[in-house]
Amino acid sequence: MTFEVEVAGARRTVSIEPAGHGRYRIVVDGTPHEVRAERIGEFGLSLITNDGAVDSREVNVAPGSARGELLVELSGRTVPVMVDGRRRRRAADGGAHGEGEQLVVAPMPGRVVRVLVAPGDAVELRQGLIVVEAMKMENELGAPKPGRVKDVAVTPGTLVEAGRVLVVIE
Amino acid sequence: MKILIANRGEIAVRIVRACREMGIPTVAVYSDCDRTARHVREADQAIHIGPNEAARSYLNSAAMVDAARRADASAVHPGYGFLAENAAFAAACRDAGLTFIGPSPDAIALMGSKTAARGAAARAGVPVVPGTQEPFARDASDAEIARTAAEIGYPLVVKAVAGGGGKGMRVVTGPGELRSSIALARSEAGTAFGDSAVYLERRLAHPRHIEIQLLADRFGTVVPFVERECSIQRRHQKVVEESPSVIVDAPRRARIAEAAAAVARAVGYTNAGTIEFLLDEDGSFYFLEMNTRLQVEHPVTEMVTGVDLVQWQIRIARGERLDLDPLRALTPRGHAIECRIYAEDPDQGFLPSPGLIRAVRPASGPGIRDDGGVTAGYTVPVYYDSMIAKLVAWADSRDEAIARMSRALSEYQVLGIRTTIPFFVWLMQQPDYRAARYDTTWLDGILTSRRGRSFNDLGPDDELLVALAAAVDTYQRASADAGRVDGLARSGHWQRTARAEALRA
Repeated sequence: MTFEVEVAGARRTVSIEPAGHGRYRIVVDGTPHEVRAERIGEFGLSLITNDGAVDSREVNVAPGSARGELLVELSGRTVPVMVDGRRRRRAADGGAHGEGEQLVVAPMPGRVVRVLVAPGDAVELRQGLIVVEAMKMENELGAPKPGRVKDVAVTPGTLVEAGRVLVVIE
Repeated sequence: MKILIANRGEIAVRIVRACREMGIPTVAVYSDCDRTARHVREADQAIHIGPNEAARSYLNSAAMVDAARRADASAVHPGYGFLAENAAFAAACRDAGLTFIGPSPDAIALMGSKTAARGAAARAGVPVVPGTQEPFARDASDAEIARTAAEIGYPLVVKAVAGGGGKGMRVVTGPGELRSSIALARSEAGTAFGDSAVYLERRLAHPRHIEIQLLADRFGTVVPFVERECSIQRRHQKVVEESPSVIVDAPRRARIAEAAAAVARAVGYTNAGTIEFLLDEDGSFYFLEMNTRLQVEHPVTEMVTGVDLVQWQIRIARGERLDLDPLRALTPRGHAIECRIYAEDPDQGFLPSPGLIRAVRPASGPGIRDDGGVTAGYTVPVYYDSMIAKLVAWADSRDEAIARMSRALSEYQVLGIRTTIPFFVWLMQQPDYRAARYDTTWLDGILTSRRGRSFNDLGPDDELLVALAAAVDTYQRASADAGRVDGLARSGHWQRTARAEALRA
């Protein structure tokens, strides 16, 4: 079985085949690794590798809240991982939407408390566009690039889900 | 005695624990989305209090009193936040024949107004941070506010009169920001506290936040405790607290504790409370405010004194004498540090990260205390504060406590959502933190200078390990869906993975 694994923005080609008795032969970007892997409960994996300084590690792999996203936990750190490009690209990462347009999306679920711009307004980089309240804190979302407000898709009081388009900048 | 806990999350669980140890039955309350929350399951009884919006559930004073009546509770513990510093709620409890586990409504009202509290401290002979004596009127003109601001001098802080927890508070570095800062503070304070009045205070350049926990009974005994230092703050929100403070020696401790006790005595305070001070670079200290409730960070005091503050709150409320040895309260044994674990993504500017918790494995072992509020299978809601647990480490010395905290953080697993654990792993390694070279602005400064760099940098070995784990996991899930491996759930994500694999094969 072969797939693309993206960890911390770096894409690797990974192929895996079982070698019996909990052992796997895993080739990462052409380099082979022998791994002993046992599942611990629903999300845990105990890995014993023989090519690192630390050779016994516990790693947890669980689905995150965004669709298709895996969150891998390792010694107090959590990294998002994409297998075969299935982690949906977030629009906030610079998702293109038509010629030169940029979408400002709600990074978390919440309630729109203030809209600071109107269609047609010129905006500077990081100028405040909209204030979303979530978990009792008001978060001001700024312009991802200088430009002109093409559309404001919400009004104060609107409840928004994560990923909902709030403002379009062109 | 039967206690209704007018709160949720970790503090409700903490109060259940104290009650259970004292043999006191407890009643939990819950909103719609908290039906399966941990505090509901751990209490002896549970009563639905209203819909998700806090204003209609955990902030609904009438519904809370009604719930206490229905459950036949005789006392109410408000925890912190929500109705904890609401004088009208304390009065409503009293009027309904319920013992409010906290100070009198009058003391809450007086100290709850930051401007009135500053006046009370000044009258008790305790210095206060320079600022306005009275809050601004709602219709105060921009010009009037600007004039007052100019008299106090910049930088200054706009603060909600009813504020707390860093909410309704904005730093203003110059006249240009004054108007928008006041608007933001008023709006946030109105939402959070139902009172949008604000006032101005001078911003000290490099202050450290020192606070004194105290207990006071109904017979005039006031016992101040060894200080906590809470200078590690992000946008005025405490994120790490410790006790004792490295910059407070025994003589200074005695002076600050005595000042705190003087303020408490002056206002006839009873039950648990905390007086917050700012310690200036020149060693002088100023009264900041009083919190008329149990604090989030009370566990560090408990760890270094061995005193159970929640149990004492209950004992004082039922009329017992505070016969605690004052010397014990003021003498720390070892050092304790607390990290507030939030459902926030430190790699995205600490944005809230609500969602389904797939699994939790708290840290444990020597010197570790976990005050957790969530379990696997619970969905962290968007409606309330995002703190899910407090991790506390105790050791003989501060250095050992930091090492212990680092070890515990690497053990702590919360799966399915992002938390601030990776941020604390990083923080514990910072030379300035380890050397205790900081003030209340230090963390915001260092975060800005990092320019959003990830707290989850792994290094090549761990990146490889993550790729290996993802490979094994994907392989096993696909095999499970093909019927080759038993015992793995076939959740939607894994099914999609398997289908994609099947299509490729």
